[in-house]
Amino acid sequence: MSGHLNVQHISKRFTVDGGPIEVLSDVSLSIRPGEFVSIVGPSGCGKSTLLRLLAGLDHGFDGTILHDGKPILGTSLDRGIVFQEPRLFPWANVRQNIGLGLQNAPLSAAQKAETIAAHIGLVGLQGFERAYPHQLSGGMAQRAAIARGLVNRPQILLLDEPFGALDAMTRGKMQVELQRIWAQEKITMVLVTHDVDEAVFLGDRVIVLAPRPGRISHIFEVAAQRPRLRTDEGLVRVRNEILLALEGQGPASASTGRPDRDLLARPAA
Amino acid sequence: MTSQWTIGSAIARNGPAVVRTGRLAQTVRWFRRGVVPWLWGLVFPAVLFPIWLAGSHWGWLPEQILPKPADVWGTLLEMLRSGELKAHTGISLLRVVSGFVMGTAAGLSLGAAMGLSRTTDDYVRPLFTAIAQVPALAWIPLAMLLLGIGETLKIVMIAVAACIPIAMNTRAGIRHVPREFVEVGDTFKFSAWQKLRLVVLPGAIPSIFTGLRYGLTHAWIALVSVELVASSEGLGYLLVWGRQMFWLDTVLVAMIVIGLIGFITDTLLAVIEQHLQRWRIDGA
Repeated sequence: MSGHLNVQHISKRFTVDGGPIEVLSDVSLSIRPGEFVSIVGPSGCGKSTLLRLLAGLDHGFDGTILHDGKPILGTSLDRGIVFQEPRLFPWANVRQNIGLGLQNAPLSAAQKAETIAAHIGLVGLQGFERAYPHQLSGGMAQRAAIARGLVNRPQILLLDEPFGALDAMTRGKMQVELQRIWAQEKITMVLVTHDVDEAVFLGDRVIVLAPRPGRISHIFEVAAQRPRLRTDEGLVRVRNEILLALEGQGPASASTGRPDRDLLARPAA
Repeated sequence: MTSQWTIGSAIARNGPAVVRTGRLAQTVRWFRRGVVPWLWGLVFPAVLFPIWLAGSHWGWLPEQILPKPADVWGTLLEMLRSGELKAHTGISLLRVVSGFVMGTAAGLSLGAAMGLSRTTDDYVRPLFTAIAQVPALAWIPLAMLLLGIGETLKIVMIAVAACIPIAMNTRAGIRHVPREFVEVGDTFKFSAWQKLRLVVLPGAIPSIFTGLRYGLTHAWIALVSVELVASSEGLGYLLVWGRQMFWLDTVLVAMIVIGLIGFITDTLLAVIEQHLQRWRIDGA
């Protein structure tokens, strides 16, 4: 089965105001085919940077990332991505936007139409095929973006805070939908989020990143059965552990580039 | 009683949601959205015309300077009948169309080159910006020496005038296509050509059309300037000749025709633009 990701000793630096800033420092991680991995962490911990590296959108890093044993050198139709903003093209309707993903797919026109229709069905947008992005609600637009990310039938779907801009009710609904789609498609999914509940509800594992420089601080296994209930005791327990771990990091102070000692000390006190 | 009335009027207020799908209501909506804005546009002409009428009637200005509306109308009919107006308009239109087509081709290519390639932009833009500051009229003396006073001069001047706003707006439109959209293309392995066709061009269209409309306006201005200076036919020539002979009715007829054609062509471009981006209008 394909969809295996192997991240080996990744470091990534940006230049800000003439000086280098280490965004990711020696991150190593192996993701199994079909696994759902959530990545959480405070802002500035490099979680979106890591996801962009997995997608092949950013270059210039130390270390290797292997997708099924092959190094990632650029984007690939085998890895779909959903961004925080839906990024639908305003001049194209839902069907055309999803169809953009199939521009370079080796399919006949009829097969493409069929695949697009199937994915519109998968995300529950039947009846909105001809709607333009400005006519969609935030949740509907993000469904269309998910369908576009999946339309190439990638082995891996990367999600960069996909529900971050949605209201709480819609977000909850979309999480349930995503869980269903993941179970149905049986592909690897990597979700970056700042919402611990979301990370725990969806993930087989939750990776906690610490900031400045971004590195893995904890990895939590979430053993709860699927389909999951938010109230599941096991989920709540993991959630609390993660919240404690995150609180332990706190926001790093910018001047030293190190985690704040006082905040580190507090949970123990 | 009062509360009942309130409820009644609430229903009356909410009722039209159903009623408005009818044909009558559709007509009403069409009238409100399509006709009413036009009527507003007629307010100023409707105010100015009586002032003109009164001014010429009571002789506020000498008749040589402000002719009567009836005289202008008579001259217009006479020039139409004799074919004089048609000849002058025809030659001017031909010049504008040829110049504008050339200017559009040059402006779109130049703007696209500057928008797509940083290197080209770095090389070309300083000189281009400097040239853009020089009005069409200021080019005429030099251009006359190089190109003579024939048709070439007129068409080139019009082309230059049209080219500048088209190139500038095309460049800006391409530059302002969100980076995020281009990235979506990257994730789908778009080729350079696919990115241009599916992302950059559709994203730049509103700006390109702004450029085309400015370009057309500038082309008209350049036409009149160049015909004023170096021509023996055309609407601009009609203006100079009319002034020299103190035939202000002829001058006004030429001005009206220039304004009218400019208005029609601008509206035509606006309609094409709306058609190309229906997504901006429907439902909004």
